[in-house]
Amino acid sequence: MTQEQAAPAYPGTAALVHAALPGVPFAATETKTDVDLRVAPANLLALVEGLKAHQDLAFDYLRNIVGLDMLEDGLWVKYQFYSFKHGHALQVTVATPPGNPHVPTLTGLYAGANWHEREAAEMFGLVFDGHPNPRNLLLEDDLRIHPLLKAHPLQPIEIVQGIEEGKAGFEF
Amino acid sequence: MTIWPEAQAEHLDTEGFSTVDMTINVGPQHPATHGVFRMVLTVDGELVTSCVPYIGYLHRGLEKLSEANDYRQAMGFWDRTDYLAGLLCEQAYCMAVEKLANIEVPERAEYIRVMLAELSRISSHFMFLGAFGADVGSFGTSFVYAFRERERIYDLFEEVSGDRMFPTYLRPGGVAMDLPENFEKRCREVVGNIYQGLEDLDGLLTGNEIFVERCRRLAPMTTERAINWGVTGPVLRSTGLAWDVRKAEPYSIYPQVKFDIPTGVEGDIFDRFFVRLSEAYQSAKIIEQCLDQIPDGPVLNPGLPKNLRIDNAEAYARIEGSKGEYGVYAMARGGNKAYRMKLRSPSFCNLSALSEMIVGHYVADAVLILGSLDIVLGEVDK
Repeated sequence: MTQEQAAPAYPGTAALVHAALPGVPFAATETKTDVDLRVAPANLLALVEGLKAHQDLAFDYLRNIVGLDMLEDGLWVKYQFYSFKHGHALQVTVATPPGNPHVPTLTGLYAGANWHEREAAEMFGLVFDGHPNPRNLLLEDDLRIHPLLKAHPLQPIEIVQGIEEGKAGFEF
Repeated sequence: MTIWPEAQAEHLDTEGFSTVDMTINVGPQHPATHGVFRMVLTVDGELVTSCVPYIGYLHRGLEKLSEANDYRQAMGFWDRTDYLAGLLCEQAYCMAVEKLANIEVPERAEYIRVMLAELSRISSHFMFLGAFGADVGSFGTSFVYAFRERERIYDLFEEVSGDRMFPTYLRPGGVAMDLPENFEKRCREVVGNIYQGLEDLDGLLTGNEIFVERCRRLAPMTTERAINWGVTGPVLRSTGLAWDVRKAEPYSIYPQVKFDIPTGVEGDIFDRFFVRLSEAYQSAKIIEQCLDQIPDGPVLNPGLPKNLRIDNAEAYARIEGSKGEYGVYAMARGGNKAYRMKLRSPSFCNLSALSEMIVGHYVADAVLILGSLDIVLGEVDK
């Protein structure tokens, strides 16, 4: 490939996905390790159902779900998939609009999504619509804070150690 | 005329012999939960009808702290996730940072990393073999055998890095310092002891009919269910699928060493035990090959700045941890700190399948099933 040619619109695995699921619109980029597909929250279920069911894709393993606080761009969710049959990997990014952090749950397709989604929900305030058990997982049951949001403060260690003045801990 | 008319039999069944469900709380402070893990079991007689796990007692905010500290400082938190195999976690963390910043690692450093990572894996599997033997009821013997071997491995870690469990020896771009001069001799000694220790445990546990009878055909898992739950590592391999990140998505110098992937057949508890035992032999073989092949040269990339700054980039680095796929998702958006670091912890995913495995089994086996998953709560709770 020469320098003049633009990067392909569907690199690597994304071309496979586009060929297999032409009805689902997505934008494809490459991270340092995987191909990343960006879809709207409304198209997520259609895409993932296709990823799992289609013969040529067969993404049967949901590795990981990552919540992200992108500040003015809203909350994002990233899903990492892998196919045991074909040995290829894929990342899917869903950007929710600010103030409306709703994403459909994947627990119906992957049992393993359950705890990942509960963790992302409590840490970021994301809402996974249709989740069978949307309770806090790592945090206290009745704690309604979202510690991984960038707006959530982290207390300086000097206060905790008693070197600087201040009350250790937060009140919720 | 029937002796027991149907209506009467139904009446008997529902009211005469009904049992009351009982709720049993296990943990968070309980020796059988291998850490601060709590599960609430509902039992009907001796059979478990539901299991609700509660985690988070060891949550230390790893991901938040990784965002608040720069790339070098944050590494110290990561070997405290899987604290039984700290060097594996450091390796995953360093790989994530190296992928973000396109840092090259000298080959000698890769060999050192792999040797120490495999020693960590063996040490973690020894911990499992000892603790699992104690779970099943061999009392302290297997535990003491296993700890004797772990102690030797930790001594070696101390000679290399200065610390036993949390070496913080790896750096993005290599390792902190070269190996001590007598490392090869000492390492071969330790590997010899590992073979002997594995044989001892093999004889003590696999050669014990009571142990084998207790574990065979208990809580089998199919490959389909394991994949659906995202279960990886020895638990997945015990179901018969030979999937190991070291082979499936090779990293570091694993393509240059020869090793097999041990698998089970039925996915029951015995298979999980036996896969780990066989895997430890394979790890010892990898270490021996590394000792033969290790080249001379630098151990840390000399072109690295003291304060690493990384522009927009994201990466998902994954390694085969001692419990399964240990993944680190990292995102950088400029500056000397990560914008987001996320741990994909194998124990966390394996543990989420626990309730499905336990339901329908005896209470006495619940502890065994939990033990067979080989969880580390530091990694589950982050």
